[in-house]
Amino acid sequence: MLPSMYRGLWRAAVHTLRASKGNPPSRFLSTCNGVSSGLADAETIFALSSGHGRCGVAVVRVSGPASATALSCMTGLTRSLPAPRTALLRSITDPQSKEVLDRGLVLWFPAPHSFTGEDSLELHIHGGPAVITAVLQALGSVPGMRPAEAGEFTRRAFQAGKLGLTEVEGLGDLIHAETEAQRRQALRQMSGELGRLYQDWSHKLKRCLAHVEAFIDFSEDELIEDGVLNQVDRSVCDLQAEMERHLKDERRGERLRSGVQVVIAGATNAGKSSLLNTLCQRPAAIVSPIAGTTRDVVETALDIGGFPVLLSDTAGLRDSPDLVEREGVRRARERVEQADLTLVVVDSAHLPSDAQKAATILQGHLRSVLPTQEQPKTVFSADRFLLVLNKTDLLPEEQRLKLHRELRLVSGLPPVSLISCHTNKGLQDFLTVLHSSVKTLCGDPLSGAPTLTQARHRAHLQQCFAALAQYQRYRDIDLALAAEGVRLALTSLGRITGRVGAEEILDIIFKDFCIGK
Amino acid sequence: MSFSPSLNRYASHMLTKKLPPLQSFLSRFSRHTSHLARQQYDVIVVGGGHAGTEAAAAAARVGAETLLVTQKIQTIGALSCNPSLGGVGKGHLVKEIDALDGLCGRAGDWAGIFFSILNRRKGPAVWGPRAQLDRQQYREFIQSELLSTPRLTVLEGSVEELLVSEPNPEEPGHHRVTGIHLANGSQPISASSVVLTTGTFLSGSLFMGQSTSPGGRIGDAPSSAGLSWTLRERLGLRTGRLRTGTPPRIVKDSVDLSLVEVHPPDSHPTPFSFLNKNIRCKEDAKGPRYCPSIESRVLRFPGRQHQVWLEPEGLTSDLLYPQGLSMTMPPDVQLRLIREIPGLHRAEIHTPGYGVQYDFVCPTQLSPALQVKSTQGLFLAGQINGTTGYEEAAAQGLWAGVNAARWALSMPAVALSRTESYIGVLIDDLVSRGVTEPYRMFTSRAEFRTSLRPDNADLRLTLKGFEEVGCVSALRYQEAVRVRDSLQDAMAALQALTLSTPIWRKKLPDMRMSENKNTLVNGMEVLQYNDVSFEMLASAFPECLSSHKEFAQRIKIEAVYRPHCQLQKKEIERIQKEENMSLPQDIDYFSLPVSLSQEVREILDRVRPTTLGAATRLQGITPAAIVHLLNYVRHRGQEERRTHRQQPEKREEREEELAARNASLPQ
Repeated sequence: MLPSMYRGLWRAAVHTLRASKGNPPSRFLSTCNGVSSGLADAETIFALSSGHGRCGVAVVRVSGPASATALSCMTGLTRSLPAPRTALLRSITDPQSKEVLDRGLVLWFPAPHSFTGEDSLELHIHGGPAVITAVLQALGSVPGMRPAEAGEFTRRAFQAGKLGLTEVEGLGDLIHAETEAQRRQALRQMSGELGRLYQDWSHKLKRCLAHVEAFIDFSEDELIEDGVLNQVDRSVCDLQAEMERHLKDERRGERLRSGVQVVIAGATNAGKSSLLNTLCQRPAAIVSPIAGTTRDVVETALDIGGFPVLLSDTAGLRDSPDLVEREGVRRARERVEQADLTLVVVDSAHLPSDAQKAATILQGHLRSVLPTQEQPKTVFSADRFLLVLNKTDLLPEEQRLKLHRELRLVSGLPPVSLISCHTNKGLQDFLTVLHSSVKTLCGDPLSGAPTLTQARHRAHLQQCFAALAQYQRYRDIDLALAAEGVRLALTSLGRITGRVGAEEILDIIFKDFCIGK
Repeated sequence: MSFSPSLNRYASHMLTKKLPPLQSFLSRFSRHTSHLARQQYDVIVVGGGHAGTEAAAAAARVGAETLLVTQKIQTIGALSCNPSLGGVGKGHLVKEIDALDGLCGRAGDWAGIFFSILNRRKGPAVWGPRAQLDRQQYREFIQSELLSTPRLTVLEGSVEELLVSEPNPEEPGHHRVTGIHLANGSQPISASSVVLTTGTFLSGSLFMGQSTSPGGRIGDAPSSAGLSWTLRERLGLRTGRLRTGTPPRIVKDSVDLSLVEVHPPDSHPTPFSFLNKNIRCKEDAKGPRYCPSIESRVLRFPGRQHQVWLEPEGLTSDLLYPQGLSMTMPPDVQLRLIREIPGLHRAEIHTPGYGVQYDFVCPTQLSPALQVKSTQGLFLAGQINGTTGYEEAAAQGLWAGVNAARWALSMPAVALSRTESYIGVLIDDLVSRGVTEPYRMFTSRAEFRTSLRPDNADLRLTLKGFEEVGCVSALRYQEAVRVRDSLQDAMAALQALTLSTPIWRKKLPDMRMSENKNTLVNGMEVLQYNDVSFEMLASAFPECLSSHKEFAQRIKIEAVYRPHCQLQKKEIERIQKEENMSLPQDIDYFSLPVSLSQEVREILDRVRPTTLGAATRLQGITPAAIVHLLNYVRHRGQEERRTHRQQPEKREEREEELAARNASLPQ
């Protein structure tokens, strides 16, 4: 996903500079009398612009030249477009089936007076997931439309010169945040079955491409036989069949997990499973006084103040000689890395009464839970971590109050909640803190947006499938063009799984064939 | 391990074209500094290999007074390793060098014993034009060409020292080249630019078995240690060490030719040069990759079959070159190994194979003009930059020579983009990624392979070479313009030929056009069909097409590739624009007032990318960092424009801001 961000960003950036730099004359014969370059950015994008989770009104935004088409074919306004920037109540229908999807407000922003500077459209619809999904799918069926990449609206605004200098500065930070969120989201998806499937395809495609490239670059001098291509033929055929099945599957394989990912982590016997059971109000996880009771990840879906949450309890973090437990700890760490929010549970009975000393110990706990590659400065951000001091029923009341009072004055710690899963004391306060964190996360359109990512994946998979057909079409006529097909297929898939460079292909060539170095 | 040898047949035809008598030329050239016409040149090229000869010729073509210094005039243009030119990827480079009016394409056509296009069945984008060469004729052509180039002087000598100025106190570490000092010359020779093309001679050491000796090629004196010292210690350049090797040469008469497989040549040889229409000699050989050492191949791929090509060393030579058998073992072991190969059981070795270890300068220290970033006027090309192969060296040499001349003549540097040429791919890979092993060109390195074809190298480069670079002669330019115009006319005629499918089927009964279609199709689209050739169309529509038959093959290739090139066009334009945004080389990344992490600052400071495009390809540079950099560059550009008092620009900006305020608000 990152490379595609670069690409979009660059296109935007370069566009703005064109005025001062001038366009280099094209030197390709094939472009001498070619298509006008104005078509380059002609794609129309759409996305859900409001946050996810349960909300009253959802805003879907469309930007690009096909906005007007989308507007007229989805609202039945075929005669004339509505007055600019005026809300209009309309039935929103599917352009193909003519089925009414919802009734909502329609706003039309003709270019250049819109956020992106292009023709734009906003649909204010009801916030249910079924309605949102239906509207997004209907938009996707309009010719020339595709789901937006993360941050693409902002980039287009940048491109159109709609952002001031300070806002451009902000764009850098925004992109950082986006890439960070995308990284987490990608990790989450990539560890699922779907992720494994895409990785497997990507791996097969890389091999196919390496073999075709080897045949092109080396077969004249080295003993690379035509059999290599027959292998590629078979692989491409199999891949096409697999992709076709996958694209037709209405359930689309594994259902992507939706909702905010909240992970409970911490040392053994701190009461993590008790917290899970308390939060979901049923004994979902086994609890015992024995350290290391929880060995696998226990998941449960919750509703926290109207927001969907997927809560996972993990094995206590410690070095264990037990193979099963060690695997549990590995999985726990993996979960923390993919989490939107981590609840770090600490046994308060083991804390010293001095708040400063306690804070130092708590920071140690945080560090032990933290994914290894994260920067230390992000550790204590309130939106990624919450500290839960459990077992306060074992503390003398005055010490509990002292910790409660003094720890919130210590800087550099995430929000601290003191609770007792035994007596439920402090639980209500903790739920308030948790609710506000989850709310913040749900306001972020990037956390858990299955429909959007699915739609994007689907588009890339379809391109990949089409590119493989190019391989077959040119296999016996022009191997360079056939290889181009495999390259395109890999690029499309790479937009889901990560980019593939020429060097990687050459590595496979040298590993698989006897080519002198 | 087993070997399956093949023998190339060699030609019986002698070339009939007469070269100017070489000896008379040589005698005109002074071999001592005392005879040197002048003590000052615009450009000095050190080294007379493939990089050096192209560099010297290119610099002179651009208009610089140029001096080529080489240890022996006799070895100028020597083919030290395999007696062949071109191949897959390498042939692309030869075509591009020729399109820029370089020497090696024409030299290959002159000295070629027989020609073939590799990958003939795999599509024109990856065709690999290749020729088996006569070593002596190749050398003679290059020498005679250099000696008759105006503004070019050739001098025999050994460079003792590279002269550089003390660094400017304002810009620490920034030296400037002032000239060279020869081993036995009393006076230094001064120049604005120096191109170093020392090949394997930089701290070169030859080895065979356990014994080693200093040198860069067998039979030649090692080069002076002073040059190596200046580069490393004085200029502070990072260097690395690479090795290469060459196979033993085998006495032809000792080989039993009845036991090997013979490969026939192409029946219609295709010349390298866009200026040559046909080739006189008629037979063919197939050929090598780059010097693979047999030891490392057996170690890496045990139990496999290896292929060895036996290639003639020349028309009159009685030696064979066993391609694929590069080895550095002791001579007796080499002989034992060779005699295990079918057909070579009684073979005699004329010269044993040997290896060379040599220093290369890490090429990330160079600009896309192949100039050392920290030393003004110093250019490097060829194996000194970590590449392998004649064609790779020649390509760099040409481009370094062009830029050395432009530097000396106070003209701005020129760069070739990876979107327009394999030379651009080669240079961009070198200067932005560096090398860890000898770099060789493959077609798979070029992202835009379908656009960068051997057939259209002239259209891609000759026009630019004349109009913008100044390294192409008017004669070649006129030819390229004629070709371009003819192709455009032909394609316009094809496009105008719009007919319905039934009529096409009637006109071309042999064509398998999809039966169910009944639409209007133009001639370009029809030509995309695999079983339709331009000749077929020309005989069906002689009145409008027969005049274009000269370029039948090129038109067919254009028609097939055009839709694919169109798809790549967007990506190509994006990269070209990125490459057009240059980053000032004097930025102090550590004090740049934008929010960049320390890590990113360190990477940028170490690599000093020349363009924003190059910066995006660096590992560890985040998209956010790119935005900040871009903003900085943009901001700087605006500042500069303000100082130039260009009022309309400012007004435009204000309007833009006003429009932004009227727009709907971001969420």
